[in-house]
Amino acid sequence: MNIVIKTILSRVFLAILTLLAVSMFIFWAAEVLPGDIAARVLGREATEEAKQAFRERLNLDRPVHERYLIWLSGAVRGDFGHALASQRSISEVVGPRLKNTIFLALYAFILYVPITVFLATISALNRERPLDNAISLLTLIGLSLPEFVIGTLLIYIFAVNNPIFPVMANVQRAKSFWDAVRMTTLPAITLTIVMAVYSVRMLRDNLIEVLESDYVRMATLKGLPRWRVVFFHALPNALVPALNTMALNLAYLIGGVVIVEQVFVYPGLGTQLVEAVFLRDAPVIEAIALLVSLIYISANLFTDIFSILSNPRLRTG
Amino acid sequence: MNHQKPLIEINNLNVEYWQQGRWVQVIERLSLQVFPAETFGLVGESGCGKSTTANALLGFAPRGARYSSGEVWFEGQDLLRLKPSALQKVRGRKISLVPQNPTTALSPGMKVGNQVVEVLLNHAFSRSKEEARQRTIELFRRVSLKSPEAIFNKYPHQLSGGQQQRVVIAMALACDPQLIVLDEPTTGLDVTTQAQILDLLRDLRSQYGMAMFYITHNLGVVAQICTRIGVMYAGRLVEVAPTRTLFAKPTHPYTQGLIASVPRISAPSRRQSLLLKGILRRPDLPPGCQFAPRCDFAEEQCFSQAQQLIEVGPAHQAACWRWADIPAFKERLALSPIAIEPSLSASKPNDQPIVEVKHLQIGYGANRRERFLKRKPTIIVDDISFEVYPGETLALVGESGSGKTTVARALNGLTPYVRGEAKYAGRHDLTIAVDQRSEEILRSIQLIFQNPDASLNPRQRVSKIISRPLAKFFKVTGEAARERVERLLQDVRLDQSYYNRYPDELSGGERQRIAIARALAAEPDLLLCDEVLSALDVSVQANVLELLVELQSKRGISYLFISHDLAVVRSIAHHVGVLYAGTLCEFGKVEEVFNPPYHPYTDMLLKAAPEPDPDHVMPHTRTDIGLLDQSPNTACPFAPRCPVKVGEICEQITPPWQIASQSHRIRCHLTLDELLPRQNKDYELKIKESIE
Amino acid sequence: MSSRVSSLQITQQTEGFNVRLKRLPPTMIIGGVILIIFLVIAFTAQVWAPYPAAKTGTGRPFENPSSKHLFGTDQLGRDVFSRVMLGTRIVLTLSLSSTLLATILGGLLGLSSGLIGGWFDQLIMRLVDIMISIPFLVLALLIIASAGPELSGGYFLIILAVAIVYTPRITRMARSVAIDLKTRDFVTVARARGESTLSIVWHELLPGATSVLLVEFGVRAGYAPIFIGSLGFLGFGVRPPTPEWGLMISENRSAIVSAPAALFSPGLALALLVVGLNLFTDGLARVLGRTVRPGA
Repeated sequence: MNIVIKTILSRVFLAILTLLAVSMFIFWAAEVLPGDIAARVLGREATEEAKQAFRERLNLDRPVHERYLIWLSGAVRGDFGHALASQRSISEVVGPRLKNTIFLALYAFILYVPITVFLATISALNRERPLDNAISLLTLIGLSLPEFVIGTLLIYIFAVNNPIFPVMANVQRAKSFWDAVRMTTLPAITLTIVMAVYSVRMLRDNLIEVLESDYVRMATLKGLPRWRVVFFHALPNALVPALNTMALNLAYLIGGVVIVEQVFVYPGLGTQLVEAVFLRDAPVIEAIALLVSLIYISANLFTDIFSILSNPRLRTG
Repeated sequence: MNHQKPLIEINNLNVEYWQQGRWVQVIERLSLQVFPAETFGLVGESGCGKSTTANALLGFAPRGARYSSGEVWFEGQDLLRLKPSALQKVRGRKISLVPQNPTTALSPGMKVGNQVVEVLLNHAFSRSKEEARQRTIELFRRVSLKSPEAIFNKYPHQLSGGQQQRVVIAMALACDPQLIVLDEPTTGLDVTTQAQILDLLRDLRSQYGMAMFYITHNLGVVAQICTRIGVMYAGRLVEVAPTRTLFAKPTHPYTQGLIASVPRISAPSRRQSLLLKGILRRPDLPPGCQFAPRCDFAEEQCFSQAQQLIEVGPAHQAACWRWADIPAFKERLALSPIAIEPSLSASKPNDQPIVEVKHLQIGYGANRRERFLKRKPTIIVDDISFEVYPGETLALVGESGSGKTTVARALNGLTPYVRGEAKYAGRHDLTIAVDQRSEEILRSIQLIFQNPDASLNPRQRVSKIISRPLAKFFKVTGEAARERVERLLQDVRLDQSYYNRYPDELSGGERQRIAIARALAAEPDLLLCDEVLSALDVSVQANVLELLVELQSKRGISYLFISHDLAVVRSIAHHVGVLYAGTLCEFGKVEEVFNPPYHPYTDMLLKAAPEPDPDHVMPHTRTDIGLLDQSPNTACPFAPRCPVKVGEICEQITPPWQIASQSHRIRCHLTLDELLPRQNKDYELKIKESIE
Repeated sequence: MSSRVSSLQITQQTEGFNVRLKRLPPTMIIGGVILIIFLVIAFTAQVWAPYPAAKTGTGRPFENPSSKHLFGTDQLGRDVFSRVMLGTRIVLTLSLSSTLLATILGGLLGLSSGLIGGWFDQLIMRLVDIMISIPFLVLALLIIASAGPELSGGYFLIILAVAIVYTPRITRMARSVAIDLKTRDFVTVARARGESTLSIVWHELLPGATSVLLVEFGVRAGYAPIFIGSLGFLGFGVRPPTPEWGLMISENRSAIVSAPAALFSPGLALALLVVGLNLFTDGLARVLGRTVRPGA
């Protein structure tokens, strides 16, 4: 058991180090690389005094490493400073947006996992038969469609032609929880489709490999019924490696959310990031990029730990 | 026996596999019966359809296979046409399987005990979980697993190969089946473990009286365990006979060739004309007798007319209509010239050895950083000394993990840590790394690996593979290189059509020849052969071995021949070193090592090797060995397994070399007299003690 | 099944590289045909496209498809058919050049990292880890945000952003290939023969590595149009009025009720191109004896 704790601790340590390095990179890319922020925000025509005052207020006159440390120590406490454009506190602006995005992501993830497992399983069990071929074809089409096309198509079908769901998903205006769910359904389905097309294929291939394995053959030849072979011998062994894929998909989810939110004008982190990039609002960009990376790194860390714990080979040393 | 009603009967079975867009027949008109309580052995080389037959006995069609016609009758039912639910009641309950590779056959994420419990509960053989648990532990005890309660809760990866195989056997026995199908159950295990499993199977057979269907490529194993044998060739059964009859009077030319090809420790020479010639691809097989193209006695009719099994003696059938015209096996053996024979020393007594190794220590993991951190390297091979003489073969034998391969790598300068002395031709230091060696040494020592699939670059054509050393050592390119490559191909008995092929278009035997040709291209004086035969079928093995012997006598090359197969070593080596856990325990001329006095480990290996001769009875050698993944910390590494261990002294004091002759030495605390074979009774007793 | 090498060959082993090359898989042929059509359009559309891409007022705004405007018109009355056809060249150029750049960079970095090992490998891998820890679209936006106004909206910035996102992913893959290859027996044989590192890389490693990198290039190139389209859709791609498909979809969104053809035709073109690239890559992988693993 000792070795497991040691491995997990070292993973946690590594994740923290990575996060630190990522924060440095983000800070450098958003604040140092673009050059004089004062000139960019206030415009070239602004007076030297105005620019100087701006720099002082934002500590821009200090050396880079000091600015980074000030920013980081604030970020750790949840204080990301103020947005350049609106002058409002960033945690105040980003907070509700973060909540909305997490709501959307969770919704999509809840749809995604069972759909993926279900489709991959029936696909693998019917390998190279019509059902599998149909699923393969569907995933191939899905792979070729960008999320903004899928989202627009869904709007066209389910909001314009058959008004079941709203065109825009302004959850801020939702009257109840279920109203919010209804508004979020189309964006969540879009995300689910895009994630599922990748992982259905991968999980299907994993499952087929496992189904062809000696131990599944052995389980069949022990006289076990098919369902027992699939659920007790094949699926558990195929799912664990698929977990990694799912974690990678979570990373996608965080990125894809940017586009999907834009399609549905969903008030989340993604639309805010796009806005901030338009306005070149460095503090907001930094805050969102760091948050998103934090979510991604921790998701990876958790799947890592989970696969260590669920693998007897690793667990028992 | 044949008056009995058969337990299971395969009737006129045809099996096809879907390959490259069409159905390819892999089993043709197969008929055989297995009677209650007998052990039927099915032998044949890889790809002949043995495993497919095993599947048929369980009514199992793997993906891409179909039973185009035929039946498998068991208890009045045709297993091939049974509903899945009815089949589930037979499999694991009445007919069970012991698969080839226990490591991959056990579910990796489930405790091994539960995998047995699952069978018992599924067939309602045990009424409750607790009862099933009790029975599983009892089964584990019966297959001689030590501390069965502890094993119950282990995961497969925590067990050794031998233990895993015992678990799988326990699983097969779980519901007292009438037939156990064993598909190469000992392939991949070390000889000593194999001997134990065979012993166990014999015991279980006498206890339970079930029938066994034993599939293997190893003629030695069938001779030792089976009562009746079927020989399979290219999807057809070519001969069926009781074990003794088959080995005494093999009738089909293929059976004759197969038996003559197998190396034996007791009779190492092999006869030229009986060795199986040629290699066939499926599409080249004639519609008639599929052995015809390789047969010395084939007539035109053989190629076009399929052969049926016909009675050639009591309970003895063969599928060769010319069987009466073919000289008897013994006659053919006596008349044919010898092809492979342990050669007498080619060296003169005062010849200088080409390689001389003294107190060599080899290890891994001590690079610059680790040395700086004062970390010690992991020592794989410790304190070994040997000599290789010009034009001779030194064989290093030992089981997996004994460090044999490491020695070859070290002589090639590929291991990071080498201490001690190793000289080439008396002048050149061989302890230095490959990048510091002179061109001359690099050329003189060449390497051939076990697995030709991995040692040939799949993206290079044969021509490029063989011409690389020519370009490197002789700066020969272009037309001149082409000529030399073609000559080298001839030297390894391949024709020019191979020049432009890729390795994946060749068979295993052909690939190994290409690897040999590449090594020969450098015109070496010493060839390091690392298990070069162990991935090959017996008939291919015999041919490659013959080639190696011929090359040695023509070119005077020395071989360092690394192998786990004592019988092969017996037929090629001049000197033999026996390695155990990285140390040398016996060294001498081949006839000295294979005759008493033996080191206890050599003795154990020799006893464990199954001879392809039913009259050569293997002695009981059962000792239950635990995990051997760590090198033992005892002074004599063999002490924990030694049946004749002296006592504390073996664990604490490094044993001395007992000098048996000028060339023969044994490292043991026992004196030479004590090492001579004891009375059998005494020996058995000692073994019994070591089990308990 | 038995791992022993057979004297009788019945396995697929007879199907060597030579044979596979002669019998191209159908997916490769279908994909190839689609790609050729797109290439022809890219090279010739200037000649036969009915209207220039930026010409406004060729019809009324948001017309539905007609013989005059096959795909209808957009908000400014521009001919959507002409714009889709003329956009092909832009999408192909951006996708292929950014992927090529990333494959060369990532291939070189990854192969040398795997081969050299030691601190160099450690350094490269840590950098790769950091880059991969930022979700790819966020990373792309970060790069776009950090660029000055003189770069934004230009081809160069798009190519750079996509290449920077792809490079660490390709590096990681190439490194694992190098590590896998360098422990193979045939490399050991070459080392034992005393071949120089350069000669080992050239003769033994590159042929195997190129096929993996080719497939990787195909997989990445298959996603690049989507990636670039996404940037265009968000408004960070090439600047209007360039007929880039993602940008067009974003511009024509208000036509979803009145003239959906203007909205969906660039989407369809994008999907077809990606299908072609994916099918071709799939076939290529089969010829080279590899399996494709889709990578996000």
